[in-house]
Amino acid sequence: MKLLVCIKQVPDLESRFKPDATGTWFSETDLAFRMNEYDEYAVEQAVRLREQLGDSCELTVLSIGPDRVVEAIKKALAMGCDNAAHIQDNAASSKDPWQIAATIAAYAKDKGFDIIFTGMQSQDRGSAQVGVTVAELLGIACTTTIVGFACDSGTITAKRELEGGIKGVVKLKTPALVTCQLGLNVPRYPTLPNIMKAKKKEIIAIPVGDLLKEEALAITASFHPPAKKGGGIVLEGDVADLVEKVIAILKDKTAVLR
Amino acid sequence: MEATRQIYWNMGHGVVIPMYILAFAAFGVLAWGFWQRLPIWRQGKALDRFDHYDERVKRMISEVFGQAKVFRVTEGGVFHSIFFWSFLILFAGTMLVMFQADFFTPVLKVNLLSGEFYKAFSLVLDIAGILAIVMLAGLFIRRFVTRPDGLEIVRDDYIVLQLLFAILITGFLIEGARMAATELQQNPALARFSPGGLLAGQLFTTLTPGTLLVTHKILWWLHFVLVLGFFCAVPYTKLRHILTTSANAFLAPFEAKGSIATINMEDDTVEQFGTATISDLSWKDIFDADACTSCKRCQERCPAYTTDKPLSPMKLIKQIGELAEGNPTGSLSETISQDAIWACTTCRACQDICPANIEHVNKILEMRRNLTLMEGAFPGDEVKTAVNNIEVNGNPFGLAFAARGDWAEGLQISVMEQDSDVDILYFVGCYASFDKRNQAIARNFITICNAAGVKVGILGKEEKCCGEPVRKLGNEYLYQMTAAENIELIKTYNVRKIVTTCPHCFNTLARDYKDLGLDIPVEHYTTYINTLLENNKLNLTPETFRYTYHDSCYLGRYMDIIEQPRSILTRAGGSITEMDKSGYDSFCCSAGGGRIIAEEKLGSKISEARIKMATDTGAPLLVSNCPFCMTMFEDGIKTGGAEDVLRVRDLAEIVAERIVA
Amino acid sequence: MKTLLIGEYREGKLLESTYELLSFAAQLNADTAMLLVGSESQLPAYAGTLYLADIATCGEYNPDLHKKLILDAVQKENPDCIVFLHSSYGWDLAPRVAAALKAAQISEVIANLDGGFEVGCCNAKMRRTVKSTTARTVITIQAGAFPVLQPGGSPAVQKLTADSSGNLEFIGYEPAEKKDVDLAKAEVIVTAGRGIGKKDNVPVIQALARALGGELGASRPVVDAGWVEHSHQVGTTGQTVSPKLYIACGVSGAIQHLAGMKKSDFIIAINKDKDAPIGEVADVLVVADVMQFVPALTAKVAK
Ligand SMILES: Cc1cc2nc3c(=O)[nH]c(=O)nc-3n(C[C@H](O)[C@H](O)[C@H](O)COP(=O)(O)OP(=O)(O)OC[C@H]3O[C@@H](n4cnc5c(N)ncnc54)[C@H](O)[C@@H]3O)c2cc1C
Ligand code: SF4
Ligand code: SF4
Repeated sequence: MKLLVCIKQVPDLESRFKPDATGTWFSETDLAFRMNEYDEYAVEQAVRLREQLGDSCELTVLSIGPDRVVEAIKKALAMGCDNAAHIQDNAASSKDPWQIAATIAAYAKDKGFDIIFTGMQSQDRGSAQVGVTVAELLGIACTTTIVGFACDSGTITAKRELEGGIKGVVKLKTPALVTCQLGLNVPRYPTLPNIMKAKKKEIIAIPVGDLLKEEALAITASFHPPAKKGGGIVLEGDVADLVEKVIAILKDKTAVLR
Repeated sequence: MEATRQIYWNMGHGVVIPMYILAFAAFGVLAWGFWQRLPIWRQGKALDRFDHYDERVKRMISEVFGQAKVFRVTEGGVFHSIFFWSFLILFAGTMLVMFQADFFTPVLKVNLLSGEFYKAFSLVLDIAGILAIVMLAGLFIRRFVTRPDGLEIVRDDYIVLQLLFAILITGFLIEGARMAATELQQNPALARFSPGGLLAGQLFTTLTPGTLLVTHKILWWLHFVLVLGFFCAVPYTKLRHILTTSANAFLAPFEAKGSIATINMEDDTVEQFGTATISDLSWKDIFDADACTSCKRCQERCPAYTTDKPLSPMKLIKQIGELAEGNPTGSLSETISQDAIWACTTCRACQDICPANIEHVNKILEMRRNLTLMEGAFPGDEVKTAVNNIEVNGNPFGLAFAARGDWAEGLQISVMEQDSDVDILYFVGCYASFDKRNQAIARNFITICNAAGVKVGILGKEEKCCGEPVRKLGNEYLYQMTAAENIELIKTYNVRKIVTTCPHCFNTLARDYKDLGLDIPVEHYTTYINTLLENNKLNLTPETFRYTYHDSCYLGRYMDIIEQPRSILTRAGGSITEMDKSGYDSFCCSAGGGRIIAEEKLGSKISEARIKMATDTGAPLLVSNCPFCMTMFEDGIKTGGAEDVLRVRDLAEIVAERIVA
Repeated sequence: MKTLLIGEYREGKLLESTYELLSFAAQLNADTAMLLVGSESQLPAYAGTLYLADIATCGEYNPDLHKKLILDAVQKENPDCIVFLHSSYGWDLAPRVAAALKAAQISEVIANLDGGFEVGCCNAKMRRTVKSTTARTVITIQAGAFPVLQPGGSPAVQKLTADSSGNLEFIGYEPAEKKDVDLAKAEVIVTAGRGIGKKDNVPVIQALARALGGELGASRPVVDAGWVEHSHQVGTTGQTVSPKLYIACGVSGAIQHLAGMKKSDFIIAINKDKDAPIGEVADVLVVADVMQFVPALTAKVAK
């Protein structure tokens, strides 16, 4: 069986974001990067399946981006992926989800992957499109936001997380793609021997130009901080007044009260 | 009449040969007993503990004969030490008699045991014998009657105590019998120099001379057999500690306190990290189990044990011994339990007090290394998150690394990136960088430096966690990664001296970073301020206050900095009321050993226990010197309900308030 | 401008959030048609074209089939925008439709501006304005970002059918696990700190949480004191949360607490101390006594 897991390296969300020179994405100065959280669930699930199937199975991890993404790739290798493809793209952040999906699909096209794992979305861009679009481009079955996964002789049973904690149970035939959600598993912490082994695993570098032939469909016109939500207002005074003010703020600034 | 005695009186020189044969046989049993333990010790890995040979021998002689470590705890220790010295004198006396009989007399033809020397000899030996019996009685009462908490009674206690009593009493009885037949009649003046014998002799005065001789013979043999029994029992009972504990005084490490083996991360032939089973330990670690005297001193000082966590350092050492003997392939973490292994705060109270030089802390750390590096285990999810945060943002809170230097905005301080020509590099650490309460301490430290005309630099956002908490939780890999980045960075600046306000950073930078190639003097701010005061670079206007002081483990026990902070506080006008446990006997705040990033889920709260000790002094102020302690105490005061009676402040805050402008 | 809105059914019921699509379309000033895989017994209260496929034959989750139905409606309507809710149904289906049409997709829109659609990013810390370059655009809108609009009336129903060639089989629903709480997924958290004073006051905080449809959180001392279960604890040794709304009642804002809740979208703190450190992360700091303010707020919210 051949497995593929697609990961993205994202900035830590504690970071302070500032627009870059183009004003369409963040400047990377002072940012700390890590593996996209949802992709960690994807890697963990893929590695578990890989372990369950033993050596008849091969698990590849793929990431698109500049050289820094090799750090995330290494982590996935240390968690238990067998080999890696680094699709080199210094301008990955300017690609829209369609282009990213097209790149992955071009890579995966003739490789006969039985199952592809992705995160349900990236933490920085959050468009939740790439996984499904890859599946559509490859013409394979797909389900999203899974919090439960089992695979038995070519049939995947997945649990999708729906609103309100309800779950939808779905069966898919491989080849298939699943996008992974928080709650699917607890990603392992790589052990030192595995970190050492990972250093020797192969990372194939592929220039993005070799794979990507598509133009962007959506373009980012601007990247900016939200209009001040209320920004550190201090309210003092009579309780009844305060309540009125807070209700007004809740209605205005949050989706909680309408 | 000359003051001397006839050796082998009533026994005749005929006993010499059987006596020596039997004695050698007994030594043979002793040697055999230890020989049989060799393979157990040898299951461990190689470790050189025979370097510094002369110093080791000196240390052993002074520790064994001086008994200072034993004496440090008066309860039990006094009895043991006096018993030890008395027994030693008896042993030496017996040896002297033996030499006299079988060497000096036949070969050199001199008699040492005569005249005034003999009188003194008799008196000293008798007094030693009496003292030994009294001390043994004390030990007996302690073990079987008063029984302090945690003191166990095991098979060996019966054997050893009975044997020692029997040896001492039969010794006096033979002496009494001999004296009843000889001195008491022939030289009563001399008899006064053997008060014990004199007393025992009274038992025999009514016997006929014939019966007396037979009784003496029987007693002599009985005493002799008991002594042989003693030698034979050494390897098989607690008595083994006579040799093993003494040997440990020789084998104890020579490295700086707190040194941990730095794993070579480049060596990819290594497949096992840390300690999973007995064979991953060093032979000394296994030997330690044989050197333990079960004195339970470690246990009663252990902050984890005393707050009902499943860790006893004594039990842990014994469990290692049991596994080594019975089930060497068994899992240490299963036997000892992960909860116990994670509960340790690495406070070193156990190791510091141990009269047997047992090294508890590194054993625990090696087991943690196995759990962390080989199994990816954590004491809890919160720790996993914190570790990930350190990995990504260089601080356990997961706050943006770029904000690390924000606390210093507006202060007279230079960020090394811009200006690295400074007197000292202040390594701020995570807590003082990000935690509001501790930021105040950092600012006060800067105020002090400014007043003393010291130009301070910080690394700002370039600084990362020193790696101490993760290292103590066993994550050597992450520790070395972060440490390497800090070291590389510090080396790019021409740093003359590093000062920290955190004892954990201090230990790590001053000692652990050396192994990774950082060799710049590092000081904790307490000693640094003390020097400023002594050199009149800084002057304080004393303002009286009452306080009690907490010696953080990593400043006191690890770095021997105990007096300087107190002397600063005295200059500042403070009058101290010490807590019951202070100085080397201080009680941990609960945050060491990486516990600062872990939740205390088991037992009661260590910080509350310590706060209780502080409030018991009646002082309204607790002075600390460590951001971790500060954090724990602020917490312990709140949850322990001490808000109305106690405040905690850092030494830097006290000093900064009193600076002479 | 013309929009095709994709409504939602779950467990046999029309979801109210379907009406959010209508207010989005209204803001665009667009002509609307709606597509729904549902049943005639429960139709949306709106007077417009409704393409209706029967839920009994098409299923609630059959993305391949639903995609075909939508493509069919797109053929018929020729819309500029196809609008979904950004929900487990919408984010699953929208990219399939977008890929089939090779149309730009803009996800989780929170507003429409002159220059394009506004979407959140970096965990709502930042915003992007995104423009489509294709003739048709697929859009998903953030749940709750647009108010519910119930124009009333009844739709002009046009029935659709399609057959499934799907490689996916929907087995059924599993009810939500009865967990005590799952703070990590809560949208609203109201946290009790030590400032609430005593255990008896916990229900007051709980009541506000309920009124807002959220969960009760707690600071550690409150948990340590046994006032609230540990599963409610927020912070480094509790849970890390990022709800849409976080209300901290009588919480001072120690770093261990902040580390667990700083990522919340909107933070309101109620504290009698104007200088409490929680003020540094709070969007709104209400300086008041919790026990006076909270019940009053709850009463208003409940109305
Ligand atoms: C290792 C470690 C881990 C920790 N982990 C966590 C954790 O995960 N989560 C956590 O929460 N804490 C944690 N803590 C504890 C943390 O340091 C603080 O002690 C704790 O968060 C304080 O809780 P609090 O804000 O409820 O109480 P306090 O700090 O006592 O604050 C009470 C606040 O209520 C206000 N107040 C009082 N009365 C009123 C009133 N009538 N009306 C309005 N306001 C009022 C006060 O002004 C004050 O600001 C941890 C501590 C340590 C040492
Ligand atoms: S180092 Fe401290 S906590 Fe650890 S076992 Fe020893 S006494 Fe107990
Ligand atoms: S380890 Fe040391 S302190 Fe602890 S019981 Fe044994 S001898 Fe005593």
